[in-house]
Amino acid sequence: MKRFVFLLVVLTMLLAACAPSVATSQPAATNPPVAGEFDINNWDSVLAAAKGQTVNWYIWGGSDSINAYVDNFYGKALKERYDITLNRVPIADTADAVNQVLSEKQAGKEVGAVDLIWINGENFFTLKQASLLYPDWAQKLPNSALVNWDNPAINLDFGHPVDNLESPWSSAQFQFVYDSARIKADELPRSYAALKDWACANPGRFTYVDPTGSGGFLGARFIKGALYELSGGAEQWQKFDQSVWDKHAPALWAYLNELEPCLWRGGETYPKDESELVTLFANSEVDFSMTHDITGAGRWIADGRMPATARAFVFDKFMIGDFNYVAIPLNAPNKAAALVLANLLLDPEFQAAQILPENGFGLGYAIDVTRVTDAAALTALEAAATKLGDSATAAADLARSLVGDSAAEYQPIIKDGWAGNVLQK
Amino acid sequence: MRSHPLFAPWFSLAPALTIVMVLLGASLWYAVAESLGVIGAIGQNQPSFSAYRAAFLPASEFWLSLTFSLWVSLAATILSAAGALILAVWLSERNSGGFALHWNLAFPHLVWSVVLLLILSQSGLFSRWAAALGLISTPAEFPVLVRDRFGIGILLSYIGKEIPFLTITILSVLRSQPVGYDVVAENLGASRWQRLRYITLPQVMPALLAGSLLVFGFIFSSYEVPALLGVGYPRALPVLALRYFLDPDLRLRPTGMVISLVITAVTLVVAVASLRMGEK
Amino acid sequence: MRHLTIYALRFLLYILLAAPPLLFAAYAFSTRWFFPAPFPAEWTTAAFARVLRDSRTLSSAAQGLGIALTVSLLSLILALPAARVLGLRKFRGRQTAWLLLFLPTVVPPLAIGMGLNILFLRLGLAGTLTGVTLAHLLPTLPYTIFTLAGSFARFDENYEFQALALGANPFQIFLHITLRMLAPSLLTAALFAFLISWSQYLLTLLIGGGQVLTLPLLLFSAASGGNPSSIAALSLLFIAPPVLVIALTARALSQHGNEIREQY
Repeated sequence: MKRFVFLLVVLTMLLAACAPSVATSQPAATNPPVAGEFDINNWDSVLAAAKGQTVNWYIWGGSDSINAYVDNFYGKALKERYDITLNRVPIADTADAVNQVLSEKQAGKEVGAVDLIWINGENFFTLKQASLLYPDWAQKLPNSALVNWDNPAINLDFGHPVDNLESPWSSAQFQFVYDSARIKADELPRSYAALKDWACANPGRFTYVDPTGSGGFLGARFIKGALYELSGGAEQWQKFDQSVWDKHAPALWAYLNELEPCLWRGGETYPKDESELVTLFANSEVDFSMTHDITGAGRWIADGRMPATARAFVFDKFMIGDFNYVAIPLNAPNKAAALVLANLLLDPEFQAAQILPENGFGLGYAIDVTRVTDAAALTALEAAATKLGDSATAAADLARSLVGDSAAEYQPIIKDGWAGNVLQK
Repeated sequence: MRSHPLFAPWFSLAPALTIVMVLLGASLWYAVAESLGVIGAIGQNQPSFSAYRAAFLPASEFWLSLTFSLWVSLAATILSAAGALILAVWLSERNSGGFALHWNLAFPHLVWSVVLLLILSQSGLFSRWAAALGLISTPAEFPVLVRDRFGIGILLSYIGKEIPFLTITILSVLRSQPVGYDVVAENLGASRWQRLRYITLPQVMPALLAGSLLVFGFIFSSYEVPALLGVGYPRALPVLALRYFLDPDLRLRPTGMVISLVITAVTLVVAVASLRMGEK
Repeated sequence: MRHLTIYALRFLLYILLAAPPLLFAAYAFSTRWFFPAPFPAEWTTAAFARVLRDSRTLSSAAQGLGIALTVSLLSLILALPAARVLGLRKFRGRQTAWLLLFLPTVVPPLAIGMGLNILFLRLGLAGTLTGVTLAHLLPTLPYTIFTLAGSFARFDENYEFQALALGANPFQIFLHITLRMLAPSLLTAALFAFLISWSQYLLTLLIGGGQVLTLPLLLFSAASGGNPSSIAALSLLFIAPPVLVIALTARALSQHGNEIREQY
């Protein structure tokens, strides 16, 4: 018996010995919720409350260069300027963060693990519907004045009102990538119809990202663009309407099924995410890749993942663009620090840094440059916009082909429909 | 205190047994409860079999995944067993190879799968060498060996890991047997094949079968290899189970649990069979 | 001539054995290596350096190391008394105890992880190092117990009785007789408990919930479509401990290798 007791004591001691390291890995749990300790209308009180906190930022971690950018720019600045530690939690899929928040709700956890999520579209919609987001803050950030909140592309996220629940970080637009050493620019397809002809004239040389999985974002964009072209317009898709979908879906599945035999590996499998498609493209397995970077292929070239001759291009119409955001869960343990970070993301200095290809992020501005009053900041922003590199699509081409995304409700319908009507056929 | 002869054995077993039973019992209990929808995502209080019905619908992906998993597990097990048998007999006559066989342990399944991805994909290392030798000119001409519809990459990954495992098992049996029978048979004029068939095989069969069953259960239930080396459709059962379980649509979680319970049931049956074999 | 063939075969075997680390090194230390180039053209340490600079990599390695060390220590402490009675005593229910301890080796980590997920969430253990460590004990404990029980079965208790007769206290006996005689299998058991925990993917994923990160998690997510250089660099870091352990214990393994189960 003595021995058993002894063992239990040893066991408890060992477990206790683990505890401090648990605390460092999850500082969230040790800090009490700080709501009430600051007043969102008084920014100084937010800064004071945030001091010494650790902000747990759940962010898609599938890109090495984005990870490095986040650590090197925001991580450093938070520490040096605000004494905030950035804990970047890389996730395979933003849905994992949503899942985490939902699980915490289920388990009745008052103090969660997540402080900030990089989010948009259906994931935002899910959390908004479940009332699990910290309300009424985005337009109270000091840098929120630089955001054009009257722009429907900003105040609507996949057709759903943002309602002050999330703050924009950057903008993106769907584009294709080709290798100028392999294909001439005037031979490029400029519409979905032309793409199908091209693919079937060059069988096995094109594919798109599987839209169903965690990395399926670009694949869904590609399919929605086809839907827009086949249905003759983007506007009707901004509001969800089942009858509109039922009317046009058969044409979409027909197009994709006609395309399928001409695809890489005859369409028996699809790349899981952008990164896998990039590998296929760089190794000449296929001739096109896809991106939503404002710098086109710049980030991938800088990363050594694509040849230096890679270039971005767009169709004449229906290239979906949108803004992406950050949101704070209702049970976030370090809300003040999350607010400071969300505000930092909109800072002109970092907005200018995020679009430069060599910094590794590559997405566009969330702020409206014309609202920036500080002369030096304005110069920096304008200078950065001219340094997007050879592989970026011309701004005029991007603007001409730009359309908004469809209502969030279409996202699961398209994913499931594709799995049932295209993949499993 | 250690040498007290009357010390009750259960006190010594208690710490380990408690941990194993509490964790294992709780995990199975919660798995069953969540599969019935009693706890967790949906949070209703009435147990319901709707997740079971959903999983076992004739049109459900479950059946295709089950077929795929059975095919991969069976083929990999049989090929590994055959390969291991040949290798073990060959090595037993030589008394070497111990280090090489154990070296395999230095590369977990996950790493071994990464190796296969890097060398066998259509634009991987072997394909590049084939192109350098002028055998192929485009990646598409290289055979599809990983992320293929028939699970060839998954098979290769498991065979590479399980042949050494089973070889070690068989070798230890072979080396513990007296050499007498073999020598007598040889003196009586038995051919190499006859000796293998009538002396070696009966000696190693129980161990080989028991080991193969364990291998089958392991392959049938493991996630990483098919997740990395498989295609999006059809998916192996464990991949399907985890996909459902982690889906943002929380109503799918019980279905994931149901599939996981099916996998557990199969591996338990196989393990019992393996134990029976081992006892013979 | 025959000698030469054997040497050639042996050389080939060594190349084959060294192939995985060499392959990883080639990918990790090169860039812009695309089809159809048969060998890397541009060598660089940039990719490897970037993986090392990523704060996630080192913290994951450290966390995995901490968990694996704790798990192997706890496994030994819990296994020693259990293995002793299983190896040395005949008692009612011994068979049942064996079976119960055997169970975690056949119940898939997938089912264990999914089942423990909610329980640990309710107990506040999900997403903590403690929770992950506890979960890792399930696959390591049986292995440790079986290895040590095998040694205890060959253990001669008379040495302990003699020491007792000579006036040694129980602690001295444990330290100088029991532990010393068991040292080789204790080491083997500890090392493999360490490796099983170090390379555990599913349990860490399901219990750690993305908050406890270890190298297999980073490697898995990179390998499902990431940068070949990062995949290779992470692989090199991930296999360093197993390669070291196996290289150092290859000899001892000839005796204990059979007991190594498949979780690893």
